[in-house]
Amino acid sequence: MEASQQDQYIVIEVGVDKYALKISEVYEILKMQKVTAVPNSKTFLEGVTNIRGNIVPVISLRKRFQLEERPEIHQTKIVVVNYHEELIGIVVDGVNQVTRFSKIQSSADIVSGVDGSFVQEIGQSEDGLIGILNLEQVLAG
Amino acid sequence: MDRLEMMGVFLSEVEEQLQLLEREILNLELQGESPAIIQSIFRAAHTLKGSSAAMDFEEMKRLTHEMENILDKIRNQRLPVTQQVVDVLFQCLDQLSGLKREIELEGATRTNVDAIVHQLQQLDNRLVENVGSEGRLSAVAGQPVKKWICKVRLSDQCEMKIARAYIVFNHIKNWASVIATEPDLNSISEDAAIQEISYYIATGLEPETFQYRLGELLDVEDVKVVPLLDERSVSVTEAGKDVEQENPPLIRSEKEGKKIGQTVRVGVDLLENIMNLVGELVIDQTRIAQVGNLMRDRYSSDETIDDLEQISNHFSRIIGELQGSVMKTRMLPIEQLFSRFPRMVRDLSRTLNKEVNLLLEGKETELDRTVIEEIGDPLIHLIRNAIDHGIEEAEVRKKRGKSPKGTIRIKAAHQENQVVLTVEDDGAGIHVQKVKESAIRKQLIPAQNAEMMSEQELIQLIFLPGFSTASSVNDISGRGVGMDIVRNHIEKLNGLIEVETRLGAGTKFTIKLPLTLAILRGLLIRLKETIYALPMSSVIEIVRLSKQEIRSIKGQAVVKIRDKIFPLIRLHDYFNMPSGGMNTQNVYIVVVGLAEKRLGLVVDELIGNQEIVVKSIGSYIGKIEGVSGATILGDGSVALILDVTGLFKMANNSN
Repeated sequence: MEASQQDQYIVIEVGVDKYALKISEVYEILKMQKVTAVPNSKTFLEGVTNIRGNIVPVISLRKRFQLEERPEIHQTKIVVVNYHEELIGIVVDGVNQVTRFSKIQSSADIVSGVDGSFVQEIGQSEDGLIGILNLEQVLAG
Repeated sequence: MDRLEMMGVFLSEVEEQLQLLEREILNLELQGESPAIIQSIFRAAHTLKGSSAAMDFEEMKRLTHEMENILDKIRNQRLPVTQQVVDVLFQCLDQLSGLKREIELEGATRTNVDAIVHQLQQLDNRLVENVGSEGRLSAVAGQPVKKWICKVRLSDQCEMKIARAYIVFNHIKNWASVIATEPDLNSISEDAAIQEISYYIATGLEPETFQYRLGELLDVEDVKVVPLLDERSVSVTEAGKDVEQENPPLIRSEKEGKKIGQTVRVGVDLLENIMNLVGELVIDQTRIAQVGNLMRDRYSSDETIDDLEQISNHFSRIIGELQGSVMKTRMLPIEQLFSRFPRMVRDLSRTLNKEVNLLLEGKETELDRTVIEEIGDPLIHLIRNAIDHGIEEAEVRKKRGKSPKGTIRIKAAHQENQVVLTVEDDGAGIHVQKVKESAIRKQLIPAQNAEMMSEQELIQLIFLPGFSTASSVNDISGRGVGMDIVRNHIEKLNGLIEVETRLGAGTKFTIKLPLTLAILRGLLIRLKETIYALPMSSVIEIVRLSKQEIRSIKGQAVVKIRDKIFPLIRLHDYFNMPSGGMNTQNVYIVVVGLAEKRLGLVVDELIGNQEIVVKSIGSYIGKIEGVSGATILGDGSVALILDVTGLFKMANNSN
């Protein structure tokens, strides 16, 4: 995994945990805004929102990770990612710094708090170990 | 060129010539014998003979050769044009289409043309007995000659534009005399110079009769016929064109005209894009107006607010106009569709041995192209039904004191923001009792229910899947799929269908459709905290009732509005919204209609109606029952658009 060591990641917070998302996958980061609920859809779908005239689906990482709901706070953000040529918003409890990892290893042997398939790699930086989200797994389903 | 390529060229030529034949034979039947029409049919047959001989399709060659013989006799006044001749020509046409299909599919012909060739020869043999027969179709004459400008736009892909322009010229000559062309076809040598050609013509025919035929020629993009109004201005410009007259052009031009309109070809993609951008503007304009109102409340005495309001009003007017103009660019006259009907009606009425007069009104009515594409099939079904089940045979009609010839009237018109299409016949009408019996026999409804139904409700049974009163299944209709399909198509377009019928006097179907599918008038409603939009075209009425008026019949909530019972649903239950909190005495009920069905929706609040821009919710979320899309509201938030078809399905499934 030499090549990806130079990649930049943003660190997001969900509950007490931190996760990293490859910055190249992130389209933009927005303050929490009004999301309209969509009935009878995916369980972790928060709803849809308006991003510059586009209707963008928004999912909740808390719901995805089956954590309990929490009222929205000032730090709540929507991280917009590009997924199969569609924009999708992900509600997170906060967005921290941008970071680089000195080493990335498979998470196969490390037990994580959430379903292992969401985090397949662990990045090492000065701040410690952070699970790198596998967007494909997080959004699918 | 190898054989495969040649085959492609051959087939497209055959297709073109067959279309030409169809138009011309119809013309011959309608307008009677005219040298120009005969000539044109002859030429088509001749062309087909040449190319089929070159490609070794013997049967096609033989048939066209015989056609040529007959046409040649007609051309030389040795054979009169009778109804029989027209019929045989139509049969030849169908035979040729059949041969073409065989060639397409199998590369060779199977059908033997002996029978039809024999029929053609029969015509010839009767020649001696029949000369001067009164059956001759006489030409329509005596209509005043009017001058028109016929603007023809050729497609960009057209390889040899000048040649194509000449072909168009030759076609026009069949119906009109050509006074001049603009640009002059003789003076241009560069293909690129031609985009649109204006033919200045004089004819006694109505332009509609040949406009669409020109439009169907290969490489012709668009045809417009406008009256040549100001003849004086033409002659003035003519005076200044002495130079050109010294060089008499090949095409006989008596007058030269000036270009009157210009057109630009624009791709559909670009139009879609412009439409989207206008949609954005519509949303922003609503937002500006809303912010304006807020400001007004806050600083009511500030003059700047007056300015803001003025600007906002002006802005919204401009956007309204812009939206109107953009919508117009997506519109096509329904004539495109109507032009398919005469031949169909002719063939059907002959097969069924009925006499039918087809009246088409409002051909110029414009609809969004997507709507035109979708509405064709349902209209065809209605027309078939009208001829098959509606119009009686001539004998029966006479007995009933009607004219032996039945009339089918198809009308298109704009009504506010909708298009109203009607298909009306003066036939037998729908026999309500038979409808009831048939529905019971086919177990579409239980017998005891049928007894309780009103006449209007019974008529609605014809829209049930699997319904048909026809005692025998035939080629035309009677398979019991027709009305079901009609309804489905119309539902898909957010439209409504109504039926009125009087036994013995006829049946009338009225279809109401939205003008466009991209922007619609929506009724905004609130369920709990969430705002939803309903297409206004599906909303039948809105009532406010006291809760006590909601009854329950076998677990189904119903409400009675003006002596009619409507089933009622609470969308809250379907959308998993927490119940409770309905403390108010009164509830709002929005009655929505889908084709002939009605359903009442309980809503918590009515917010108002406004133009909404329809947007997709994307493939990530996918299809959600009861939701057709989303729109952006004035405050920037998203509201889901309810899909009335889906709501009815949801209501049915839960029962």
